[in-house]
Amino acid sequence: MAIVTNISNDQLKEIYYLLVLTRNLDERGRKLFKQARFTGTYFSAVGQEATTVVPTYGLRKEDVIAPSHREIGANVAKGVPIKLIMAQIYARKTSPDKGKSHPCHYGYAPLRVITPASTVAAQVVVGTGAALAFKIRKVDNVVVSFFGDGATSRGGFHEALNFAGIHKLPIVYICQNNLWAESVPLRLQTALTDLSERAKAYGFPGVTIDGNDVMEVLRTSREAIEKARRGDGSTFIECKTYRWYGHSEIDPANYRAKEELEAWMKKDPIPHYEKYLLENKILDEKEKNKILVKVEKEIDEAVDFAEKSPYPAPEEALEDVYYGGDKT
Amino acid sequence: MKKVTFIEAITEALAEEMERDERVFLIGEDIGAYGGVFKATKGLYEKFGPMRVIDSPISEAFIAGGSVGAALMGMRAVPEIQFADFITPAMDQIIQQAAKLRYRSGGSYKVPIVFRVCCGGGIGGGLYHSQSNEAWFVDQPGLKVLFPSTPYDAKGLLKAAIRDENPVIYFEHKKLYRSIKQDIPEEDYTVPIGKAEVRTKGENVTIITYGLMVHYSLEASEKLSKEGISVEVIDLRTLLPLDKETILESVKKTGKAVVVHEANKTGGVGAEISAIIAEEAFEYLDAPIARVAGPDVPAIPFAPPMEDFFMVNPEKIANAVRKITAY
Repeated sequence: MAIVTNISNDQLKEIYYLLVLTRNLDERGRKLFKQARFTGTYFSAVGQEATTVVPTYGLRKEDVIAPSHREIGANVAKGVPIKLIMAQIYARKTSPDKGKSHPCHYGYAPLRVITPASTVAAQVVVGTGAALAFKIRKVDNVVVSFFGDGATSRGGFHEALNFAGIHKLPIVYICQNNLWAESVPLRLQTALTDLSERAKAYGFPGVTIDGNDVMEVLRTSREAIEKARRGDGSTFIECKTYRWYGHSEIDPANYRAKEELEAWMKKDPIPHYEKYLLENKILDEKEKNKILVKVEKEIDEAVDFAEKSPYPAPEEALEDVYYGGDKT
Repeated sequence: MKKVTFIEAITEALAEEMERDERVFLIGEDIGAYGGVFKATKGLYEKFGPMRVIDSPISEAFIAGGSVGAALMGMRAVPEIQFADFITPAMDQIIQQAAKLRYRSGGSYKVPIVFRVCCGGGIGGGLYHSQSNEAWFVDQPGLKVLFPSTPYDAKGLLKAAIRDENPVIYFEHKKLYRSIKQDIPEEDYTVPIGKAEVRTKGENVTIITYGLMVHYSLEASEKLSKEGISVEVIDLRTLLPLDKETILESVKKTGKAVVVHEANKTGGVGAEISAIIAEEAFEYLDAPIARVAGPDVPAIPFAPPMEDFFMVNPEKIANAVRKITAY
């Protein structure tokens, strides 16, 4: 685990709490889907928590998150109330999207989390535009753009990163390379092994790191965010990681070898980080158990909030088409 | 009052809105020092600098999607799509992002953008510099679609669009750019989005049209008036939302409707207008609704005789009117 400066033990503990909250919230979402407590499907990010929670932790309220569909951790770490995340999964009226989007497509305007579309990589383009706005207005906010390996094959992705390179935009691109674009393995997506090599083509640095190593993600993402904030341009960070479950909960993921999954489960980011905190006496068993109890209570409350929230009225389907009234 | 061309009206609207509101910025291909391939942004780069008049790489997906992201952060983006034919790489960003972001965020985001789209044929542009694809966008709720026909409306509607909080697709027919001049006020004005304009009053037949075809329809109506046929020409100006009231009021009076557009017929804007008339004014009709539109071929062909064959012209419009007048 790499050394990170300018971070207190309390902050390291808070990251631990956010990681555990994300993991347990995500596992609860899967369980609730299997119990048919909500409809549609569920896109789990279990196994990838370090790649979303850690880069988001410590961002300003004015900084932007441009997520995809596997960024529950970025929402949790940005401070989106988890009861709203749960209400979104349940498609309830109380959700920020008022039940209109889709499970796991979380957005929250008050904290500048941009509600994503399902067209992969589209959000990378939009996020880059948000960074352009900051550049034009000369404000030192940054954008953190999250996407998977699959997104790097899209044309819009190339256009966006190319533009960010030209104008040194304040955006950090976090690629969660979990080796599979739904069912298609990396070798059928690209001739590259390390996706960070793509950054060369855009004229800014690209690095490949162990996305399951919390301290490495922390150090790398903090440096990149500070650099972007200073006006020194973009960085592409490829986090090698793995999703433990299928593309969504209706995908058994039987295209993957059992051994591959088992090897990655051994590299679970959370126990490794927990061990680091315990060994360095940043966290003790008592505090750890307190966190676990707190997390479960918060999740229970969030589920309760979602289940007690009403569905939107059917005719609310006609609302939110246009700003300033929905009469066309 | 001052006399301006259609394109001068557009340049003036851009300059005045950029002066009025520092959040307004332009992005597009060749719009900077070069001033745009049609010179719509002439002089603006010098006046507002490279970060408010941004020369983009050939990247329509970014021009559109970058505008969306900037709009979400409070900017008012006015991207230029150099030719309507080249809007296809931007479609994901226009249709899935710009049009749907407000809806999918439960109304928590707004997306103020004006896509200036240069369109239209009859100028020898060939297959990929002549298309009119407004129907694609009229089919997408969440967008507004404008298609002015005069310098006065070009300026007033562009200003209204820039001040609107929603994504707007603003079509500019390139054949109008320098072919017509009109007196416009010196002072600031806007033209309301969603309101059609009756260009000439008439009693026997209603022509419903927009863009370049307004001028061709007016030519046809002059010719027809000499034959004793009194034609009312409605200039839609806005295609989404449609001013149904003005259309229906006129058709209820004349009992006959001809819908005219340059784009091909099938699935075109004329199909929607015809359907509205059939649904809501059926009992007032005393002749079938007629459509005058381009033929259903993939785009406007290059060879001059074929381009002429494709284009709607005053004679084709007059013939359609004569035919339904006979009922």
